[in-house]
Amino acid sequence: MEFAQKIKQATEEIFSTMIFLDLKPGEPLAQGKEDLGCHVSAMIGLSGDFNALIGIHCPEQVGLAIGGSMLGMELQTIDDDIKDALGEIANMLAGSLKEAFASENIDLMLAIPTTISGNSYKVSAPSGSNRILLPFDLEAGRFYIDLKYSLS
Amino acid sequence: MGKTVLIVDDSNTMRKIVSRALRQAGIDFDQILEAGDGQEALDVLGANSVDVVLSDINMPNMTGLEFLKAKSEDDAIKDIPVVMISTETGADIIDQAKALGAKGAVKKPFTPDLINDTLGPLL
Repeated sequence: MEFAQKIKQATEEIFSTMIFLDLKPGEPLAQGKEDLGCHVSAMIGLSGDFNALIGIHCPEQVGLAIGGSMLGMELQTIDDDIKDALGEIANMLAGSLKEAFASENIDLMLAIPTTISGNSYKVSAPSGSNRILLPFDLEAGRFYIDLKYSLS
Repeated sequence: MGKTVLIVDDSNTMRKIVSRALRQAGIDFDQILEAGDGQEALDVLGANSVDVVLSDINMPNMTGLEFLKAKSEDDAIKDIPVVMISTETGADIIDQAKALGAKGAVKKPFTPDLINDTLGPLL
């Protein structure tokens, strides 16, 4: 199974079982897209038989919609609750990838999620690494699941 | 007397989601207690009568596995059943958890039905 398909399945499972928001996956975007117009991101590293970083990047309104639905309350600003919620999504994505690869005898270990927020930042991959950027559309707008990996 | 559950997770969001899943599963607890890591969980168990524990594995300060070990060494709380809820549900880590006394494991993400199926037999 390829990376993009694993990410798509894991994201759909997380949103259908724990977030309860309708999700429409898009086609993978071109490599090198760094300015995502996002205001909050959560990322988590995986290490082992290969190294990877998987994350979720959201514009403010999308982050508020996702966090609000997870917590069952209306949220107004990007705060610690939103960051915690997105960190958990990153954690579950990484866990799902770990499990999917374990079935192929590929061992990975998870790090601790990291979350950042701000009005202007870019997300770039280390040179030589591969990147898969998958857009997903919600009623509130578009967010991205971003996987950077190095097989060496 | 109603039943009490202790939810142990370093994520406030996940503790809320687990609480909601318990309600959606139709499992009626009179009291839902929370702890942010294994040490806090031991403190809560020492001060309250708890019927079942749902615990994450990867937590700061004291992990879920360390919590299980410490709990198993305390006669006053060692028999309280614990179910692990974690993104880490590989056979190796679940075997470790069960060897330390865990009664089951639920993988995140989870459905209320899965919580019910795992927790129901313990209540």
